Amino acid sequence: MDRRDFVKTAGGSILLAASSAYAFQFLTSSSASWMKLEVPSTGRKWGMVINLDRCQENCTACLDACRHENNVALSGDERWDIHWIRKVRIEGKIGSKTTEKSVILLCNHCDNPPCAQVCPVQATYKRDDGIVIIDHHRCIGCRYCMIACPYNARCFNFKDTEEWPNKERPRRSHGVAESCHLCAHRLDVGKMPACVEACQRVGAEALFVGDMNDPASNVSELITNNAVKRLKEDLGTAPKVHYIGL
Amino acid sequence: MDIKFESIEGRSFEYRVTMIAFAALAITGLISTFYIINKGLWVTGMYSRVPWGLQIVMAVYYIGLSAGSLVISGLYGVFGKLEYKPFARIAVYLAMLFLIAGLLSILTDQGRMDRVFIQPFVHFNLQSMFSINPILYIGHILICVVYLWALFTERKKLTTVVATLAFGWAFCVHSGTGAIFGFGARMLYESPLLPASFVAAAMASGTALMIIMIVGLFKLTNRRLDDELIVWLGRFLAICVIVVLYFIAVENSYRAYVIELRHAAVYYLFGGIHSLLFWIGLILIGLVIPIVILFRKKTGKSVKWIVLASSLVIFGVLCERYVIVIPGLTHPPEIFPGMEITHSAIEEGIASYSISFLEVLQALGVFGVIGFMFGWGLRYMKLLPTEARALHPCPESTSRKKL
Repeated sequence: MDRRDFVKTAGGSILLAASSAYAFQFLTSSSASWMKLEVPSTGRKWGMVINLDRCQENCTACLDACRHENNVALSGDERWDIHWIRKVRIEGKIGSKTTEKSVILLCNHCDNPPCAQVCPVQATYKRDDGIVIIDHHRCIGCRYCMIACPYNARCFNFKDTEEWPNKERPRRSHGVAESCHLCAHRLDVGKMPACVEACQRVGAEALFVGDMNDPASNVSELITNNAVKRLKEDLGTAPKVHYIGL
Repeated sequence: MDIKFESIEGRSFEYRVTMIAFAALAITGLISTFYIINKGLWVTGMYSRVPWGLQIVMAVYYIGLSAGSLVISGLYGVFGKLEYKPFARIAVYLAMLFLIAGLLSILTDQGRMDRVFIQPFVHFNLQSMFSINPILYIGHILICVVYLWALFTERKKLTTVVATLAFGWAFCVHSGTGAIFGFGARMLYESPLLPASFVAAAMASGTALMIIMIVGLFKLTNRRLDDELIVWLGRFLAICVIVVLYFIAVENSYRAYVIELRHAAVYYLFGGIHSLLFWIGLILIGLVIPIVILFRKKTGKSVKWIVLASSLVIFGVLCERYVIVIPGLTHPPEIFPGMEITHSAIEEGIASYSISFLEVLQALGVFGVIGFMFGWGLRYMKLLPTEARALHPCPESTSRKKL
């Protein structure tokens, strides 16, 4: 076989393989779309605003409410603890001025979620209303989504847990990825996420969730009337969690 | 050039002991995997900050060995180098086994192994490198099966066609594996050069593996093997090693040069045990010393030295796999550029990882499975040639006579 023949045969083979892969994708995607757990389109796009100026440093009401609502258990060893929402303290220095802040971190429900892009089984996907969610019955536990998330917002359920405080919601099962789903089950029935409700209950009013497509919603107004920041906007992930006071 | 192939008798004491050892390793790996499934992946020492460990390192390594050894089979199948026909069957069989090893390593690393056989095929996601790669891997195994069949039945035309397909496919397989990391969002992963760099490392480690296997098998079974064949493979290996070194130099120079990546580059090159593995394991032992051995006139023509250089390359590429996978995870994504996280419920900043005993047992188990399959293949398939002669051997070439 001379070089010309080799290039021809190899090129043809690769072309054939690529077209087969596309054909396979085309055939499977049509079946996958109706299998996926979709909610009917409501025209909404859920977004979040976190006002760090109102968030009190020692308050853990949102964290506790999330754990209780979604059965997010602590394993007893921080390495394997799951956090859907967590608080971090950050420190920065500009000139001689040192600034410190307490920041709430959770899934950013990106409009272009890298976690959903890399999921080999489409277990992570973005709903029509913008919530990025994991189908725990489909997740194979490959953890590629955790690698892809630029916000360290995902955890993996390494351990089984006996904790099950909220019997209305499923107990967390080991071997799958975990992250905040903005309490989609509550939003679907007109309730606010557990963290937002808890924040309002303690009177802090630092967390807001609302429809970003509705210009009159609290979230839209807060975004319009305040200097808001999103984390790592330069990545093009278009996060839907907005920070005031960051 | 008439080449005869035969199977080994497999009745010797050494053969039986080796097979028992492989079986024991495989069973140990199986037991440790059942233990991990039962207890949860936390027993492996992985955690949310470092969610991939030794199994992924080994998977990438095995896949590289597979792609590389398939390229060696292409010397005969694609480029018609008749003197390398004796090694074609072993090369293809090994390529198939190492890919199986890669798949086993990935499989045993999944959180929900029970779903791996259905979900990726039902909910295929063409946007995910993790979805594309299994298709490449399974295709690779199927191509190897057809390739072996063509070689066993001496179908020349089919061999050429399948060998060419396999050759191109092997490139795709390892480029795809490199893309899992190279197309990722982590500072120490993201690099469009990584797929090409993976191919170079695969060719180096695959060639090195083939040299060791060929020399070892021919010596153990007292077959004639002309030194020229190994010396040529040694030269090919030397070129591959230089290409690997070049890619590593470019990648690290880029990271060190670009300001936003400099911090990550410093961590990678001087930040911990992985840096020792990089400088000593990969650069010195795995690349520089083999280059010196293979390019020196005296040692570059000595089969013993070439085998030593090959062993060092195999070790070096294993180190390379580790320093690609693990530091990329232990180095955190920068969530707040220019600021530092001083307190958190989870370990922020640089994370730690150490290989656990269970992971080692799992990795040895996978090695045991393919070792056993290789031994079985040697006994029941005509993989080994009766001899391997150079087309134009030097008169003083020392050859072993088949007993």
